[in-house]
Amino acid sequence: MAPEHQQVLDTFSANAQATTAVVTEAPNMAAALQYVVDVCENRPAAELLADEDVEKGPNGPNGVPTRVQRIIAAPDLDDADFEQLSGICAEKGFSCIRQGMRKHLAGIEVGVTKAVLGIAASGTCMVDSDNEDARLAGMVSEVHILLLKKSEVYPDLPSVAQKVRERMNARPATYTTFITGPSRTADIERVAAVGVHGPLELHIILLED
Amino acid sequence: MHEAPKNLSEYRKEIDKALDDNFLRRTLDTFAVAYRANREAIFKEVDEKALIKQIADAKDDACKHMDELYEQFRAEAEKRGVHVYRAADAKEANEIIARIAKENDVKKIVKSKSMTAEEIQLNPYLEKEGFIVDETDLGEWIIQLRHEGPSHMVMPAIHLSRYQVADDFTKVTGVKQDTDVQRLVKVARVQLRRKFLAADMGVSGCNFAVAECGAVSTVTNEGNARMVTTVPRVHVAIAGLDKLVPTIDVALTALQVLPRNATAQRLTSYVTFIAGATECGSASDGKKSMHVVFLDNGRSEIAKDPLFSQIFRCVRCGACANVCPVFRLVGGHKMGYIYIGAIGLILTYFFHGKDIAKTLCQNCVGCESCKNICAGGIDLPRLIREIRARLVDEKGDSVGMLVSSVLKNRKMFHNLLKFAKFAQKPVTGGAPFIRHLPEFLLGKHGFKALPAIANESFRDRWPRIAPRIDKPKFKVAIFGGCAQDFIYPEQLEACVKILAAKGVAVDYPMEQSCCGLPLEMLGQRKASLQVAEQNINAFDAGAYDAIITLCASCASHLKHVYPQLTENMGDLHAKAQAFADKVMDFSSFVHDVLGLKPEDFNNSGEKVTYHASCHLCRGLHVKEAPRELIADAATYVPCAEEEVCCGFGGSYSAKFPEISGQLLENKLKNVAETGATRLVVDCPGCVMQLRGGAEKKKMNLKVSHMAELLAEQLKK
Repeated sequence: MAPEHQQVLDTFSANAQATTAVVTEAPNMAAALQYVVDVCENRPAAELLADEDVEKGPNGPNGVPTRVQRIIAAPDLDDADFEQLSGICAEKGFSCIRQGMRKHLAGIEVGVTKAVLGIAASGTCMVDSDNEDARLAGMVSEVHILLLKKSEVYPDLPSVAQKVRERMNARPATYTTFITGPSRTADIERVAAVGVHGPLELHIILLED
Repeated sequence: MHEAPKNLSEYRKEIDKALDDNFLRRTLDTFAVAYRANREAIFKEVDEKALIKQIADAKDDACKHMDELYEQFRAEAEKRGVHVYRAADAKEANEIIARIAKENDVKKIVKSKSMTAEEIQLNPYLEKEGFIVDETDLGEWIIQLRHEGPSHMVMPAIHLSRYQVADDFTKVTGVKQDTDVQRLVKVARVQLRRKFLAADMGVSGCNFAVAECGAVSTVTNEGNARMVTTVPRVHVAIAGLDKLVPTIDVALTALQVLPRNATAQRLTSYVTFIAGATECGSASDGKKSMHVVFLDNGRSEIAKDPLFSQIFRCVRCGACANVCPVFRLVGGHKMGYIYIGAIGLILTYFFHGKDIAKTLCQNCVGCESCKNICAGGIDLPRLIREIRARLVDEKGDSVGMLVSSVLKNRKMFHNLLKFAKFAQKPVTGGAPFIRHLPEFLLGKHGFKALPAIANESFRDRWPRIAPRIDKPKFKVAIFGGCAQDFIYPEQLEACVKILAAKGVAVDYPMEQSCCGLPLEMLGQRKASLQVAEQNINAFDAGAYDAIITLCASCASHLKHVYPQLTENMGDLHAKAQAFADKVMDFSSFVHDVLGLKPEDFNNSGEKVTYHASCHLCRGLHVKEAPRELIADAATYVPCAEEEVCCGFGGSYSAKFPEISGQLLENKLKNVAETGATRLVVDCPGCVMQLRGGAEKKKMNLKVSHMAELLAEQLKK
């Protein structure tokens, strides 16, 4: 890799981490998928923020029941990658889903989706979420994990204008989001807090091409 | 929910109450200081001025093509399955949105933040029509529960404490809630998730309406706009016509400034572009019913105004409130109507009418802090002055008229000032302060001792003291200004002493009068132009190397406002520009032109601190020269918040003495903490305010004009 690009990547990581995003690297997709499953395994079960007809565990920190059957949603993974993820999930007893997110809007453990590109100047990922399940997976999961190719990280917003244009014209109707860190607020006494509506944590896995 | 002050006395009572709100004061104080530092740090990574210029140019251009952009947006959006509407006013916009809701059999509505929806008072309308409407931005939800309006465009609930929020959440959940902020945020997470799931329709705002692809965008941190635009089967976006931009590039440029200016973030957590009706699992046909309602409400008319069209550069970042010393004291409920801060005073006039705006728009001290940081480079203080002038034209102002009739006649004005020096004798007892004027006559001015008119004005001293210089290095004229001519002539004398010692020939043209800034602040445009003309004609600008003034406010007014006032006036404008080009503040002249150095002074070693006058540091961008000069003549000790307004603001301190007094109090507290025995400023107005305050508080502090300090320490 060119030293200039390594610098762009370093800037990306530093700025993403400044928003409390967790940035990690994976040599290949298999390692990335293993990371996803590890994240799910190493955290408490998701809270059910609304009613869902499903087996319920003890109340979580916010006084609502928790999920018993853990869920990892991966709506926009390629078929082969999804197969592989499903396999690891099955070993752990996690449910791995590609669609039907509307049935789980009360909250799931992990949503994993692909990022189209990264922007170093702000530690931002651009995601194509025309697919409603992919969009919801990034919204109602407690941890949202983004997969980003190292080669698709660019210096700043102006440098991606044309790519954003192509993305928005790719289909008759598009929904494009720039994500920079987890859901956050400072609306009460300007005290910073994460996880207002969306994910409590954002992880970014930088993938070798 | 939203209240506008009916008159000044009622407004001042409201302001008094706000000043007594200790929580608000503490919160906004902490915020003001933290914001300034955070903003500065986050802008280091980009070329701030260049970006602001790009935004201003792009949005000016968009404004010129508002109708074409609307048509382009509509064509592109309709192609993508979106319904587009254009509402002439608030009533029509509300009706359109209610009709969409009815036609789609909607019962419950969730909303993400939209100032435009606030502008048209959408929620009360929809509720009256029988819909259930829930705000989903945390701050907006909190104030909705309290039936209040936002007190800041970006942080709507900044005026509330965690205890108040805990009480509100206890009420709405029926369960006693902890006051820990992290817990309270999670209460909202649980409650609002249920509202998203139950809603039939989502209403969002729109930060940029991108014409080239018919996209609407939202900029949030919480992610509520993504939920609002995804989960329900109907989505209505509401946008002012000013949100139209031609290309994605313009939006991306503005996004480099908007979050930095709003919250000192590189980018907010979520920026979403929705181009077209996307798939939607809750809609019967699997496709979102999507609608974009554009609001005119006077915008297409304002867009044609050569001066006011610049208000459409506003990206609603709220920064003009963040740096406003008045907002910091009284909060957004008292510093705006629905739109808040400096831009709020202006938008209120246009969108909600002059009756609501007339008292509010008096509440600008004119310190230019907002102009300095505006994401679109809007000249906010100028526009506020313009609105005052319009209000005077439309509604009249008897006090302003009286002041006008005096000021525009130089002889009458100067005679009155001379007469005043006799009239005041019984109350000053010969001292340079009006000490014994009964408190009731001073009214709320009790926070400072008022200065007395000098026994002999500078213009009367001039024939006696005018120096004769052989082979001068430079030839300059002094613009004295009322305060120094008649109250502080010794400051001008100090200046003359320094100039003469350094071989500068000095003139004092006698036909000069008040600079006219006080008239501008009162909206007295006609008289203001008359005195400008008088002054321009009093000076033969071509004959001097510089026209020096020791008053930062005069300097900035002469230099920047004279050319504006005379725009399109042919010869007069050319003369005004030639005059303005020569105007220079005292510190810059002696530092940059004369090149005074430490060797020119006997350094006293005295601990001296500095107050950076608004019109010097922001009006003229003079920052280094005064500080270096102090260090040349004494020991300079920096003061916290050195560049924050002292509260004088000319007639402002008479109109809003409570606020002026509090700003002074804060300033003197910071000054006291430096341990300095002298405070130096570059403006007689600030001297009046600060010396009066220090005298009233019996502080061991000498307040001097820069010229006085330098003249004292100048080597013979």
